[in-house]
Amino acid sequence: MSSHESIPETRKPGERLFGFLLIIGSVYLFWQSYKISGFSDLSSAGAFPMATAATMLLASCIVFVNTLKLPATQGMDFFSHCFPPIVAIIMALILIYAVVLESLGFILSSFIFLFISIQFLYRRSVLTTLAISLLSLIMVYIVFRLVFQVVLPEGIVPERDIIASITALWR
Amino acid sequence: MDALNYFAMSWLSPDLLALTALGTFLGIYVGAIPGLSVTMAVSILISFTFSWDVNNALCLMVGVYMGGVYGGSRTAILLNIPGAPSAIATALDGYPLAKKGLAGEAIGLSTVMSVVGGFIGIFVLALAAPSIAEFAITFQPRDYMMLGILGIMLVGSLSGSSLAKGIFAGAFGLLIGTVGLDPMTADERFTFGIIELWDGINPVAVMIGMFGISEALHQLQHMNKAVIKQKISRIIPRLSDVKKYLPLSIRTSFIGVIVGALPGTGGDIAALMAYDHAKRTTKDPDVAFGEGAKEGLIAPESANNAAVGGAYIPMLTLGIPGDAVTAVFIGALFIHGLNPGPLLMVEQPHMFWFTVGNLTLANLFILVFGLTGIKLFSKIVECPKGILIPLIFLLSIVGAYAINNAITDIWWMLAFGVFGYFMRLYGFPVGPVILGVILSSLTDENWRRAILTERGSVIDLFAHMFTSPLSVVLLMTIVLILFTKTPLWTKMIKPKLFKI
Repeated sequence: MSSHESIPETRKPGERLFGFLLIIGSVYLFWQSYKISGFSDLSSAGAFPMATAATMLLASCIVFVNTLKLPATQGMDFFSHCFPPIVAIIMALILIYAVVLESLGFILSSFIFLFISIQFLYRRSVLTTLAISLLSLIMVYIVFRLVFQVVLPEGIVPERDIIASITALWR
Repeated sequence: MDALNYFAMSWLSPDLLALTALGTFLGIYVGAIPGLSVTMAVSILISFTFSWDVNNALCLMVGVYMGGVYGGSRTAILLNIPGAPSAIATALDGYPLAKKGLAGEAIGLSTVMSVVGGFIGIFVLALAAPSIAEFAITFQPRDYMMLGILGIMLVGSLSGSSLAKGIFAGAFGLLIGTVGLDPMTADERFTFGIIELWDGINPVAVMIGMFGISEALHQLQHMNKAVIKQKISRIIPRLSDVKKYLPLSIRTSFIGVIVGALPGTGGDIAALMAYDHAKRTTKDPDVAFGEGAKEGLIAPESANNAAVGGAYIPMLTLGIPGDAVTAVFIGALFIHGLNPGPLLMVEQPHMFWFTVGNLTLANLFILVFGLTGIKLFSKIVECPKGILIPLIFLLSIVGAYAINNAITDIWWMLAFGVFGYFMRLYGFPVGPVILGVILSSLTDENWRRAILTERGSVIDLFAHMFTSPLSVVLLMTIVLILFTKTPLWTKMIKPKLFKI
């Protein structure tokens, strides 16, 4: 678990904008929580959400003011250190994977996702990547689909027919 | 007698025994592989096991938790990369030992001492939890509310140097927990007219996003770290060594169990405190601390495993998680229809004794797996990140989908994953978010109960707090935490008080 990020003495690129967006978000959430039941009653449905949104607003303001005081980190660029292309590309890949998961089905979409992302991150020959992706997918499929009985989207692959014909071969 | 029956349940059933063994085995690898965390693994596992029988699911998850805390030490010793935060202190002396060619001995000794620590933690849990639960029945709603706030504040203040960032994260989590129809009045909260949001946002999707996706995205920036391989020789530790270091191990185990039992503190802080204790109390170490002192390895390893038993105390008796892992664990218990808290001990005492028995069993499996299979271990741990990270994404997406067979959960998970990535980037801890989501309904309900009892008067609520010693202690602790982060304390009082 790497949630223990130490706070740098300097300000990272984009930190001020992020802090500002948190304030805007908190104001919006406070307004939304006010709309639940207003200031009607301390035990109303909206009282607790309002208190938490107000806490968020206060905390984000403190964080923003503190960030303003910090000097910018030298030699650090947002698109090469904070949000490098590798992160953006992988994010886009995951998004596409999630979009096509139901229509293409688990097997096909996962295989394509694994192949492209392993080829991109591991950078070995196409055959090696193909073998690794196939092997990983088979292992995940056996453990989660067959052993854990997790229902996964079937999509265009006639998965049940294939399993039925394989089981028929054993009989 | 009943207690003994439930204690032995997972020992006698072949299914439960096998699942505990599998969980512990997986946990050791999950804990050891840098990039995989116990929190991540348990979050993903919940989504796959929620339709299982509760006992089966618990056995697997308890094993993963117990094994994971131990597993972090392996990579700390071999590669100087702590597999988990609780193994940070282990690397200080463990890695120097490995560099001297004593990796096997260090692993063997840390395994045995981890198991000793684990047993002490479980023993204290079995002894203390029933009486704490009995005491907890007398808690007022305001005490529960304050315990919830205290837990989030402690995790927030300890997991980063900025309390404001921790509090923001905790409050954000609490707010996420309120989304949906209000359980008391059925008012819509943050639903924006969307019927799918009536049930709220699934906490598991938030967990997988915050711990699975965001952590893996973060690791993309450190793809090319070189791995140094170590030679591993003798693993079984010498009996003379075990005898020599046993008193230290027992002492630091008690530190571990106490620190682990405090809300907001977990194995990482326990391990660092134990390391400090060993450093102060060892008069003439054979080797200096930081250069491969065995004391510096044993102390944190005993303490972090003892902290597991400690962390179970507030979790099972009060329903308050101590850290992110236990928050995820409480989420799992809720999903399986169990309601952690004092009533769990009264209404379902068998669950308590079952858990104690299961923890003991998992601890024994650590000894078995810890002292064997080291060759396979070094192969698996060196799995390149280029293969590991896509697999984490795949499992996270499949896990999120498996919760309700709904694509919506994947969107939530991705949204929280991306937001979590930026939170981590700018130094916001993500642990309090999960803690907030889990504790939201407890804090909200108890706040409303407390204020209704006082007929809506905040002044009466505060006045009555001073009539109960417990409420006073909780209130003072919250005020103290806030006060110690104000400039008045950090700039004026603290320097004078500690003569810095």
